[in-house]
Amino acid sequence: MNAIYTKRLAYWTAVLFVLWLMLSESFNALHMAVGFSAALLVALLRTDLRAERTYVIRWWRALLYIPWLFSRILVSGVHVSYLILHPRLPIKPVLFRHRADLGSDEAVLLMGNSITLTPGTVTVEADDEELIVHALDEDSTGDVLSQRLEKMVARVFPAGGGRR
Amino acid sequence: MIGIGLFFLVVAAVGMVRLPDVFTRSHAVSLTDSLGAFFVLMGLATYHGFSTNTFRILVVLALLILVNPVISHATVRAALRSGQKPVAEDRR
Repeated sequence: MNAIYTKRLAYWTAVLFVLWLMLSESFNALHMAVGFSAALLVALLRTDLRAERTYVIRWWRALLYIPWLFSRILVSGVHVSYLILHPRLPIKPVLFRHRADLGSDEAVLLMGNSITLTPGTVTVEADDEELIVHALDEDSTGDVLSQRLEKMVARVFPAGGGRR
Repeated sequence: MIGIGLFFLVVAAVGMVRLPDVFTRSHAVSLTDSLGAFFVLMGLATYHGFSTNTFRILVVLALLILVNPVISHATVRAALRSGQKPVAEDRR
């Protein structure tokens, strides 16, 4: 029970309790007591005694990343819709391997999730060094193969994030 | 906005039927959650103006965006590992 642990526990309890209040909108003693207990319980379960943060997030880059990803999702979503509705179904699925040196688990998570979230590409396997991606056709592979996505992820999690 | 969302949901359903295997179908599914659910939920969030329900819908949306790729990924990975043969050209 060191100071960092106590601080982190208090932080998460507060965050979860505020979330509870916003969602429940009932402020009588019983509801607030149940909410506080639940927040404390979850915080106790999730707070790791030995946890040290091993990654760095550039928050303003993360804020830029979301609209960028959404614009890519919109473009490829329209493209995939076109492929599906086309009478001849002109798909040419491809399974490929992509090397990516991302540095931290969190960066791999963001990259894999982004690929899967984008219509037309799905992450099949992911680890520290490479991803196996399934794509619906040649055009869908663009952002992954051109390393554009990788660069955007690297800006959110700058190098030196540390590997576990 | 709800209309746009419904359009993508219908296209995804059509894709589910037309596409040949698990892997290509998963693309149709990702169309559902990233665009279909996004537009429907954003439409609902703004339909009655800003209220506490808007916040609730945004929470649902955030969870959906986090969890859905994980599920797609797990499905596809399990399919490949259990020996499903993709129609895809293999360039691994």
